[in-house]
Amino acid sequence: MDVSFDRNQSSFDFNTVEACDNVTPEWLEPDSTGTTIMAVEFADGVVIGADSRATRGFYVSNRVSDKVNHVSDHIYCCRSGSAADTQAILDTIRYHLSFYEMELGEPALVKVAANLFKEMCYTYRDQLTAGIIVAGWDKRYGGQVYSIPLGGMMVRQSAIAGGSGGTYIYGYIDKFYKPRMTREECIKFVIEGISLAMERDASSGGVIRVAIIDKEGVEKKIIAGGDLPKFHEK
Amino acid sequence: MALLPDLPKGGFVFENFQRNEFLKAKGFRAPKATKTGTTIVGCLVKDGVILGADTRATSGSVIADKYSDKIHYMAKNIYCCGAGTAADTLYVTRMVSSNLELHRLNTNRVVPVICALRMLKQHLFRYQGYVSAALVLAGVDEDGAHLYSVTPHGSSDKLPFTTMGSGSLAAMAVFETRWKPNMTIEEGKKLVRDSVAAGIFNDLGSGNNIDMCIITRDGVDYMRPYEEANLKGQRLNSYVFDKGATPILTVHTIPLEVEEVMVRHMDETMDTSA
Amino acid sequence: MQRSLNNSETLSGIIQKPQFSPYTDNGGTVIAVGGKGFVIIGCDSRLSSGYTINTRFQPKLFKLTPQTVLGSAGCWCDVLTFVRLIEARLKMYSYEHNKTMSTPATAQLVSIMLYYKRFFPYYVSNLVAGLDEEGNGVVYSYDPVGHCEQSTYCATGSSSAFIQPLLDNYVGKKNIANAEKGKLLTQEEALRVVNDAFVSATERNMYCGDSIILNIITEKGIEERVIPLRKD
Repeated sequence: MDVSFDRNQSSFDFNTVEACDNVTPEWLEPDSTGTTIMAVEFADGVVIGADSRATRGFYVSNRVSDKVNHVSDHIYCCRSGSAADTQAILDTIRYHLSFYEMELGEPALVKVAANLFKEMCYTYRDQLTAGIIVAGWDKRYGGQVYSIPLGGMMVRQSAIAGGSGGTYIYGYIDKFYKPRMTREECIKFVIEGISLAMERDASSGGVIRVAIIDKEGVEKKIIAGGDLPKFHEK
Repeated sequence: MALLPDLPKGGFVFENFQRNEFLKAKGFRAPKATKTGTTIVGCLVKDGVILGADTRATSGSVIADKYSDKIHYMAKNIYCCGAGTAADTLYVTRMVSSNLELHRLNTNRVVPVICALRMLKQHLFRYQGYVSAALVLAGVDEDGAHLYSVTPHGSSDKLPFTTMGSGSLAAMAVFETRWKPNMTIEEGKKLVRDSVAAGIFNDLGSGNNIDMCIITRDGVDYMRPYEEANLKGQRLNSYVFDKGATPILTVHTIPLEVEEVMVRHMDETMDTSA
Repeated sequence: MQRSLNNSETLSGIIQKPQFSPYTDNGGTVIAVGGKGFVIIGCDSRLSSGYTINTRFQPKLFKLTPQTVLGSAGCWCDVLTFVRLIEARLKMYSYEHNKTMSTPATAQLVSIMLYYKRFFPYYVSNLVAGLDEEGNGVVYSYDPVGHCEQSTYCATGSSSAFIQPLLDNYVGKKNIANAEKGKLLTQEEALRVVNDAFVSATERNMYCGDSIILNIITEKGIEERVIPLRKD
């Protein structure tokens, strides 16, 4: 007998297992550092900071990740975008820069490091999802902040916020940034900025990590979740 | 035969790619790869690091392997749990394991865990997520115990406790409520067991047994199975067929003609030294 | 010539699949085996979606009349709607005719109600088990749009592909050369094979598990039993 509908397999595509196969399960999705990152120049150096949340879809895959990364002894960077892409870029640039410093026999200029990042981000702009802030101190130009956003351009700015959370605090930066702040003023400015973004942006959160870079070297600080500055709610 | 034949090139062969794309466009359904929709976990303890895994491998909704081995050997001091496409997790760990051994022979020292991490993440990044292996890498070296998670796209995290696979949320819930720093190995074993069990019972992609591997400075304790999380149901009937259940349609006999009989007496005992 | 793009087309010419689906598969397996003077219908009690378990104890058997039980698995919201409507129809019948509906008539009603939704079907795998005019076990199986087949044993739902071949061989004596054809199982034999079928399906199908719920239907009434299964 020819029956148009097989009992177990009707012509409608009901199979959720197949639907599962077509859609990548969340745990196989790429990790993204949908992030808040920020860097500001002050009188004697720079302050660079970031939140610590790494997400995979709606899942927080790492709540204590370190997005303020060592590039060379006086240069740090902040990563936003795809975790895999930015980690791969960072690994490559660290390798090249350490070689360059060995050949040069002295610390690299911040703009050299920034240019290496830019070169890579621009060359592979079609394949990469990476927004990077490079900040550091060198004896020729002092504290500097360079921003390398998605397309792979490079621009020096005295204060910049990036990542998904950065958009929430452009107004804050424009209003409260002062040139030639003191070290303490600048740390407070960065921590408050990132806290504000973390409160509004769902893909930013956790703790705040900051690095203060000046002539003396680098100081890294962690502001735990309970110690974040409070605003109107107190 | 050539005197110096070319060495085969490394990497994947893509020669069937175009043909397969053509067949797919014509409506051909490609065979499914076995996925280990998995629960794998790792946890740092005071004197080392503990890895845990379930043993279910699935193909769609069918359980393809009930006793799959998901804790892979990397080096004497390093082990690695794998989730994702079963073949990818196996081959990526196997390849890195070989390279780690070569590295150990070249350098003549215990390979650091970070070395395995670099090899894994650079390979996975090169294949842009198409080698679908989500890994939990753990080991001890001169600097102590280390634990990393690696995603299929090649990013990695260094964490005191981590979970991967489809049961990662259930397992992480257990870690987030009960993990504390500097646990003893016994405390760690209990926590890892409960965390994998949470995945086994609450995630359909995970199931069957719990495997565990404890890595310390003193050595490796690989327990497979650590525990059978579920007991198999009892069957009540016997399903043995009576003789004659298979019908004989035709009988054709070929007689065996003995041409020569030879008896050889083996005096030497079998060589079992290897 | 210019042509406007409709919703299902993108500029690159790739036709995208619609995002929303009114159906979901909540799994579940139903088995029924009938014999002389009895019929056994059983289901697993797991309700799931994707990789998660919604509940470990959701009976999928519905007592329609004192001698007819419907087993229903698939899209659970469709099951609930379908059962609610069929119970209303049975009530209307009993008020109108002052008697409960017979099993063959209920089986016919199920088919009609499924076909009524031919172009937006209930996504359900149905099995009706009951007693015929002589009081012997009878099983009716359906596809989602109302095709109906009468038999003495059947399996539907997510594990049907595992169980139906077992039943064909063991209950139906298919592909056994020296078997007594047409011999029906006793109630005890039927209970054992239904139990074993669920135990084995649970080993290999992730949508099957937690426990078996059995309804044993005889002239005396319906007896219910619950047997635990593995929970992973």
